[in-house]
Amino acid sequence: MGRFKSKNRKPFVKQFAKKTPTVDHVTGDKIPKSLVFSRGKIPGPLRQLQMDLRKLMLPYTALKLKESKRNNLKDFVSLANGMMVTHFLILSKTDSAAYLRVAKMKHGPTLTFKIHKYSLAADIVQSQLRPRCPPDLFKNPPLIVLSGFGTGEEHLKLTTFIFQNIFPAIDINTVKLSSCQRIVLLNYDKETKLIDFRHYSIRLQPVGVSRRIRKFVQNHQVPDLRSLQDVSDFVTKAGYGSESEGDDEAATVNLSSDIGRVNRASTKSAVKLQEIGPRMTLQLVKIEEGLCTGGLLFNEYGNVDAKKSENEEEDEQESDEEEMDIDEELEIEDEEEQEIEEED
Amino acid sequence: MAEELQSVSEATNYFRKRKMELRKKGGKGKKKQKGAPFSEKRVKIDNKMKKLFEKRARDYNSDNEDDNDAEPAPVTRAKRTSYGKDKPKSYGKDKPKSYGKDKPTSYSRNKSTSYRKEEENFDEEWADDGEEDLNEEIEISEDEDGQVQPGITKFIDGCNAFRLAFKKLLKKSASDDILGPVLSAHKNLVAEKLAEEDVERKVKGDAKKEKHLIREKGHVKPANFLDAYEKSLIAVATKGDPTNLVLTFFMGIMGLSVVKLFNAVNKAQHAQKGLNPSRAKDEKAIKKRRREVFFSELGKTPSQTTVSKAGASNSLEDDGPSWAPLRDNYMLTNPKLKDWDKNLDTTVEDDVRMPADSDSSDDE
Repeated sequence: MGRFKSKNRKPFVKQFAKKTPTVDHVTGDKIPKSLVFSRGKIPGPLRQLQMDLRKLMLPYTALKLKESKRNNLKDFVSLANGMMVTHFLILSKTDSAAYLRVAKMKHGPTLTFKIHKYSLAADIVQSQLRPRCPPDLFKNPPLIVLSGFGTGEEHLKLTTFIFQNIFPAIDINTVKLSSCQRIVLLNYDKETKLIDFRHYSIRLQPVGVSRRIRKFVQNHQVPDLRSLQDVSDFVTKAGYGSESEGDDEAATVNLSSDIGRVNRASTKSAVKLQEIGPRMTLQLVKIEEGLCTGGLLFNEYGNVDAKKSENEEEDEQESDEEEMDIDEELEIEDEEEQEIEEED
Repeated sequence: MAEELQSVSEATNYFRKRKMELRKKGGKGKKKQKGAPFSEKRVKIDNKMKKLFEKRARDYNSDNEDDNDAEPAPVTRAKRTSYGKDKPKSYGKDKPKSYGKDKPTSYSRNKSTSYRKEEENFDEEWADDGEEDLNEEIEISEDEDGQVQPGITKFIDGCNAFRLAFKKLLKKSASDDILGPVLSAHKNLVAEKLAEEDVERKVKGDAKKEKHLIREKGHVKPANFLDAYEKSLIAVATKGDPTNLVLTFFMGIMGLSVVKLFNAVNKAQHAQKGLNPSRAKDEKAIKKRRREVFFSELGKTPSQTTVSKAGASNSLEDDGPSWAPLRDNYMLTNPKLKDWDKNLDTTVEDDVRMPADSDSSDDE
C-alpha cells in the first residue's frame, strides 16, 4: 500500500530562499547581515523584543530564524559563515536584567549591553493615536544616528564603530531618498552612561501648505465642505494647528528628487519622525575581545576581575594582531555563566 | 391574656375536632388518637358536660373581656361540610405563615371580634363566620397536638416555646454562615482547612506575582504622550545635536542627522545633474564637484592632511574602473576591524573615508 502511495506522491522540492546579495552592486561594499537570536530561556516579552529587533534589522536579517534549545553558539556561527552574516544580536536574560550582546563575526569583539528598560513595538503602537506603518517601511535598511558618543573614550569609539557598520553604508551620491524610511537613534547620555535606543520612521510632508489641502492631496477623499460658504474658503481659510507643525526651519529639507506624489523636489519638505519601536535603554557593561569570549576590553563595573583582565588586556592588545590571525578556530562556550559571574 | 384565651379555645376545639374526625374519617382519626390517649375519655363528654366545662372556664376567666368558645352545637353541624373542603387548602397555604408571625395577632383579633359578636347575636351567619375562624384554630391545634397533650398550661408553654423556637429558626438565615450547616465539632476543622487553603493560595499568588515581575522586568509601557525627553531625542535625530558639541556619526559622515543627510544628498545629487557618470569625460568633473560639495556640507575646508590622504586614496582609485565590480578590490573593501582604534583616533581620517566611498560609486 505504501508503495502505491509513494508513487503518487509528489517529489519534495526544497524551497530555496531568494538569495540576498552579499555585496551592494552599486558601491561594491559588503552588505552587513545580522542574525538576531537568544541564548537561554527568555520570557515572552523578551521574545517579542527579539522579533521587533529582527524587524528592525530588516531586510538583511533572518526574520524567521528558528532556534531550539539544543542550538549552541557554534551552530549559529556555522550558519553565519554560510550566509555571510556579519553581526550577531544576542538576547539573554538573567534574574537581574536582560542583556543584549552585539557581536561582530567572526572574531569579535562583543559588546554586552544591559537592558535597563525596554518597550516593545506593540507598546509604542498602542501608545500612539495614529500609528504609522506604510507597506514598504521595512524594505530598506534604516539609517543610523549615533549621538553623544564623541567623548573620546575607547569603548565608545568601538561602540560607534560596531554600530556604524551594522547597517549598510549609504552613498550620498546614489542613494534614493525614498528608500530612507527608518532611522535608528542611539543617544549616549554622559551623566547616566545610558544609551537610548530608538527606532523612528521618517515622514516627509510639504511645508507651506495648509493642513487641509495637504490632507486633501494625500488622502484623495472628498473634503467636508458643509461649514464653508464658498469653495474658495477651503483654500484660503487657514486650518488651526498647521502652522505650529511645520514652521520649524531646521527640520525642513530641499529634496533632490520627487518623493511620492506629494513631496516635490521644487518645494520644501518637513521631516517628521514617528516612533515605531522597539525602545530600549541600554548600558554598556563590557566589551569582550572575541565572539562572546576572550579577554575583556572594557568592563563597566571595574571589579577585581576586570582590573586583572585590563592588565592582561594591555598585554593582549600588543599580541592582538597575531592572535587574530592565528586564532581561526573559535572557542565557543556556553556564555551564560561567564556573563553572570562578571555582572555582579 | 389573649394567648390564654386562645389556648383554652384551642383546647376545646381540639376535643371537638377529635370527635368530628372520629365520625368522619376513621382511619386518620384513630391514628391521631393513638398519639393522644387522654382524648378517648373526653370525647365522650356530652353537650351538657361540655357546656359546663365551658361555663367553668368562662367563670375562671370572668374578669377577661369575654368568653372564648362560640356556640358549639350549630358550629359543629356546619363544620362538617366546610371541614372537608377547607382542610387541604389551608394546610398547604396557611401553615407556615400563621406559625411565623401572623398567628398571635390574627388570633386574638379574630377571637375578640367574632366571639363577642357570637355572644351578642347567635345568628347563623355569624356562627358561620365564627366557625371559619374556629376552623383555623382547629387546624393549628391539631398540628401541635403531638408534643403537648396533657395539661392546658403546659400546652400554652409548649405552644409558646414551639412558636418561639420556630420563629427563631425562621429568623435565622442559613446563608450568612460560610461553612453552611455543619456540626459544631466539625466547624473548627473546616475553618482550619479553609484558612490553610487561603494561606496556600496566597503563597502561590505571591510566587506567581514574583515570577511575573521577573518576567516583565524592564518592560515599560510608554506614555501616551511624547514627554520632553522623547521630543529632544526626536529633535536630535532630525536636526542633530546643536547644544553640545558632540559627534553625530552618520554612516561614517560626521555631524549629520536626517535633515543634514537629506541636504547633503540633495547637494551631492544636484551637483551631478546633467552629467553622465558612465562617461569617462564627466567622471573627473563629477568627482571634483562631489568632493567640494561634501566638504562644504561638513562646513570644513579640507585640511592639509585630508587632502593628502584623500589624494592618496583617490590616486589609488583613479586607475580602476568606475563601476565597482570591475575593480580589483571589489568585495574586499571592508574596513579592517583590527585597527578600529587607530582608525578613529583621528577623526579627520573618518571624514576621508566618505569621499573615497563616494568616488567608488558612479553608475546611475
